[in-house]
Amino acid sequence: MSQVTRRTRVRQLADSVWPGRTVDGYANLIAARLRKLAAAESTGMLPVSGRGDGSIYFRGGQVVYAESSRTPTPVRSERGLAALGLVPAAVGAQAGHARPAGYAGSNGLNGLNGLNGLNGSAAGARVPGTEVATLPSLGRLTDVLALTEQTIDAITDLLSSESRYAKFRPSEAPPIARPSPLPVGAVLAEVERRRQILRQLGPVITADTPVVRDAARDSPSFQVSAPQWALLVRVGEGATPRALAMTLDRSVFGTTIKAYRLLALGLLAVPGRPPVTGGPAAWPAGDVMSFLRAVSDANSGDERGSDA
Amino acid sequence: MILPEADELLAPVMAIEGFRLGCLIDGSTGMVLASLENQDGLASSTAAAGAADVINVLTLLNGRLATGENLEDVMVTFSDSFFMVRPVRRDQEPQILLLVIADRQRTNLAMARRLIRDFCASFTS
Repeated sequence: MSQVTRRTRVRQLADSVWPGRTVDGYANLIAARLRKLAAAESTGMLPVSGRGDGSIYFRGGQVVYAESSRTPTPVRSERGLAALGLVPAAVGAQAGHARPAGYAGSNGLNGLNGLNGLNGSAAGARVPGTEVATLPSLGRLTDVLALTEQTIDAITDLLSSESRYAKFRPSEAPPIARPSPLPVGAVLAEVERRRQILRQLGPVITADTPVVRDAARDSPSFQVSAPQWALLVRVGEGATPRALAMTLDRSVFGTTIKAYRLLALGLLAVPGRPPVTGGPAAWPAGDVMSFLRAVSDANSGDERGSDA
Repeated sequence: MILPEADELLAPVMAIEGFRLGCLIDGSTGMVLASLENQDGLASSTAAAGAADVINVLTLLNGRLATGENLEDVMVTFSDSFFMVRPVRRDQEPQILLLVIADRQRTNLAMARRLIRDFCASFTS
């Protein structure tokens, strides 16, 4: 006698045929496809479509770049590329830019092993009491982080329940590539952590929730950082975190968190909702964002997945 | 881990006597950029997430107090260890945090704090 009930069996069959009927069904399919490409050590591009169009680029089974039409990319902005010091070969040659460190091949995929340039000529000062004479440049570190953030931001957007992938294109090379490729497992773990955070933020704000400056709290008795101020002045009559991210050339995920924090300070408000008067302390317990809770939830999700 | 060259990157803080764990974290997203462990059993992702949460809460507190001050570092004392968190660079994006966990019995807190401060200051733009 079967241990699986008839209803469970029907649901399993339906899930296998129409994965979109399950929560994150298609996202899980894309994740599985990424794992297969990693296992096969593939090089090329996986097109993904859904709420936005985009693509994920691989080299040797690891992620070197991704872009989505719904997140900022360095390719869209030459200013962003120049700021990163990573300019596509053709553009760089025309504009007279130096080639990015490690950007050796004409297709941008060759010779990118290691974090080239991180310990380059811009060496830091010696730290007393250590044997290390050179330290990495913060500028190079932030360059690599900026490209990584945009790549993971795009993959987080592409791995939605509405996305589908198309045929893998082995010949496609990225317009720009991370100096050191990202293992697919690490990328998927980070995406899952971000999804947990977005679930936490959901009742308060999403990337597409319009926010406005809260005039009632627009007083000098609050202190904000320069990045927070840059966001505040661009909110204007109202904007979504996604639109602000596009304007500021920052990640949608990071901008959503930043908007959440300004909501917590009472400097932003969501139109139609009562203003925050007590900050997070006054919010329902589940509405307070916690990175720690997200890691815990992501890990327990992994355990559930492995049990299944 | 985003930066595979963590050993090289975090080598200076590993010189702290009693060093257990070092992490570079993107404070705005909570993403671990690099981590280096000297002891099994310490989950860098959990420690990094907690450190980013602590910094966020203190930043919120500072924003509400509006004293015009900046957060320099955070030192937390547990029964067996010190947790030390310091923004590598203040008030700029990305907000990179350095977390160091060290053995309380073996670590000179003042020396460790000084080394961490110098390490953060030694990053060049």
